[in-house]
Amino acid sequence: MLRSVYLKTVRDRWVGALVGVVALFLVAWMGIAAFAGMGDDATAFIEAMPPAYLSLTGISAEAGVVGMMLGNMFNFMGPFVIAGIGVSMAAAAIAGEEADGTMEILGTMPRSRTRLTVSKVTAAVTVVAASALTASVSYALAAVMSGEDVAGVNLAAATVHLVVVAVFFVAFAVMLGAITGNRGLASGATVGLIVVSFLVSGMAPLVPGWDWLAKWSPWYWLQGPQPMANGIDAGPLAVLLVLAVVMVAVAAWGVNRRDLSAGHGRVSMLDKLRRDPRVGRWVTRIAGSGSTRSVTAKAFSDIRPLILIGGAFVAFQSVVVGVLYNAIGADITGLVDSMPDAILAMVGFADMSTAEGFYFAEVLSIVAPLVVAVVAINAGAALAKEEKRRTVAILATAPVTRTQIAASKATTMVLGSVLVGFLVAAGLALGNAVAGLGMDWVKVAASGLMVAGLGVFIGAVALVIAAATGRSQWAVAGAGGLTALWWGINSFVPVNPDYADWARISPFYYYGHDNPLEVGADWSGLAVLMGAAAVLVACGLAAYRARDLRG
Amino acid sequence: MTASPSIEVDRLTKRYGDFTAVDDVSFEIHPGEIFGFLGPNGAGKSTTIRAILDLIRPTAGACRVLGLDSRTDAVEIHRRTGFLPADLALWPNLTGKQTLQYLANLRGGVDWGFVDELTQRLDADLSKKVGEYSSGNRQKIGIIQAFMHMPEVLILDEPITGLDPLVQLEFHTLLRETAQAGRTVFLSSHTISEVERVADKVAFIRRGHLIAVEQMSDLQDKALRRITLEFAAPVAPEAFRGVEGVHEVSVEGATVTAQYEGSMAPLLSVATRHDVVSVASASVDLDEIFLEFYRDEVAAAGGDPSREPDTSSPVA
Repeated sequence: MLRSVYLKTVRDRWVGALVGVVALFLVAWMGIAAFAGMGDDATAFIEAMPPAYLSLTGISAEAGVVGMMLGNMFNFMGPFVIAGIGVSMAAAAIAGEEADGTMEILGTMPRSRTRLTVSKVTAAVTVVAASALTASVSYALAAVMSGEDVAGVNLAAATVHLVVVAVFFVAFAVMLGAITGNRGLASGATVGLIVVSFLVSGMAPLVPGWDWLAKWSPWYWLQGPQPMANGIDAGPLAVLLVLAVVMVAVAAWGVNRRDLSAGHGRVSMLDKLRRDPRVGRWVTRIAGSGSTRSVTAKAFSDIRPLILIGGAFVAFQSVVVGVLYNAIGADITGLVDSMPDAILAMVGFADMSTAEGFYFAEVLSIVAPLVVAVVAINAGAALAKEEKRRTVAILATAPVTRTQIAASKATTMVLGSVLVGFLVAAGLALGNAVAGLGMDWVKVAASGLMVAGLGVFIGAVALVIAAATGRSQWAVAGAGGLTALWWGINSFVPVNPDYADWARISPFYYYGHDNPLEVGADWSGLAVLMGAAAVLVACGLAAYRARDLRG
Repeated sequence: MTASPSIEVDRLTKRYGDFTAVDDVSFEIHPGEIFGFLGPNGAGKSTTIRAILDLIRPTAGACRVLGLDSRTDAVEIHRRTGFLPADLALWPNLTGKQTLQYLANLRGGVDWGFVDELTQRLDADLSKKVGEYSSGNRQKIGIIQAFMHMPEVLILDEPITGLDPLVQLEFHTLLRETAQAGRTVFLSSHTISEVERVADKVAFIRRGHLIAVEQMSDLQDKALRRITLEFAAPVAPEAFRGVEGVHEVSVEGATVTAQYEGSMAPLLSVATRHDVVSVASASVDLDEIFLEFYRDEVAAAGGDPSREPDTSSPVA
């Protein structure tokens, strides 16, 4: 597997991709098993649904419970996971070798920069296609294991649509990474594009007269043409592929016209912006000047850009959702009534006819947990990043104890979660005021508090992995994977009342099994999250004290 | 020298915004030469090397390797060149052996028997993951990958970093063998003794300006020595000024330090007019020779020609 750049890149990533596929299989299996356990109730439920709705979601009546669950796997979880794997490979394609300093060797091999770029892109596309294919086969297996079958669902067509949309995002990330040489910028901007295109594709059709906008979102082409029912829609896929090829060509042009970075001592995009006289003052104000007063202050200034960008995004979305709710008004009740459980499960069975329910579905069930998880996981994993960067040798020989170092990172993680919670509450409050929705202010604040509590728990998981292993990638992948799995468990297992109690193993249960906008803070749930987080942090501190430091 | 140069740097300039890392630098290196490229940290050594290898693009000027243009023929140049970067980074999840296999596969035509020989001579351990190596062991992998395809040109940036003295000796033997076989070595270093030991030609770069390029043999003829004289009572420095061969005199209490070239006799005859308690003599470092003989050039480059500590700037 070391015969070429292409093979080595596949070799480095296939295990990570396999973990993602296994997680998808587990979620699909749990969902299908939960629905299948409902027996005739489920079938009757589907048969009673309006044909227009089945058509809209690409579910064919014969496909039954399997079709409902697979709709979710192909239109929501699958694309996030598979495009996410591809984007992380694509962003690292050129920019990652530069950041790691290995481009100094790779760049002086007898390979042109164009050839290197193409090898890396081909590897990312291979991993994306293989992951999508394996995941699809595993869904069929999950159905068979639950005593169902996949007749009536065009798995192949859905897989092709998923791969093409993921390849589009891969090409976008490669383009940014190759032009800028900045891996963080490439992956951050592409994940931003994925989330925005997901929201546009899901929300634009809800607003009368704005459904055309959805077609401009790459995400729309996952479910818009209903490939599971209608087969491959070649036209739009060809357009996406041509755009992807153009972006890869732009990537090759971009990487050929600039200096390659040597990794060490490189200037971050943030520092470049700081030096720019036109925007420097504002960038410094937003990002902070990189405080070095204490370990906590330094750690906090490291994650502050993430908090502000993620928090601002979710706050902005909260305001938009308030206005959107007013715009849709009464139309929503009829639409929601016809939605199947698999879709409603994802948004916590929110009653979307009320402002509180609509907000829960649109902000609190997915986007706010995602943002707080990203911030908290990064803050927790930062403990091991000191070892990856080899800065720990300096830090740990300064007159501070290891407990102080780990506790500082834990404090930063808690602060980050609380700040995201505050920004969520602020966004909800602003949306409430602008749209005049009349939601209870105390309950708005309580929602922010619950978001913070969830973040603290997830961050503690990342911290304990980082503290015990000294490997920041393991902390990010482990805590991220567990978060996705817990989200899946809480969303899909309770669909079947017989299994409902299993949701209690998920922190998402304690975060939002009752909508905090309707019932206020769930103090017992919050206590469970904080108590578990405290235990995890204590274990992390002990593990960090006990082991040899890496680097 | 009749053969066409292996490396030709022609009026190379590289700017990063307002900062000029390399300013109008030109030199040539010929086949069979070991070329020492000396300068303090941040002088522009690595920037010059990275431009030669097309990792970065010149703001002005051009570089040619083996008669090929560094921009348009980069792939062919890379095929025929071995490179060891400063601050070497490798893939931490590969073992030493896997790293060499990977790079050998990308290059093609590597004789594995020669890799084994290099491994043995440098006493390298190829069995562990790169992430677990000490910096010295990692550096050995870097040296092997630069030499393993027997390139016509070797470009080595601070190669002895982290190597123990015995391995350094073996490495220098390897450099001499390479040059004797008619191949070219470009050795960038801030370690004077290393360059003195192996180089045929030396260039001195400071703050992006090339101060001078000299044959090592010419430099050794100019060799300055330093003498430290301890007297029973303080002696005025004026006593030594103007004495034949004496360059610089400094006095600290009853101790006089002077730099001189040529015979020590005129200096000693002045000294023995006073009550001499002890005499100590040592050779002067290469960079001090440069600073002494190229005062005007160093001053023009913005440095203090008398004595200047190393400066750090963003680009090395």
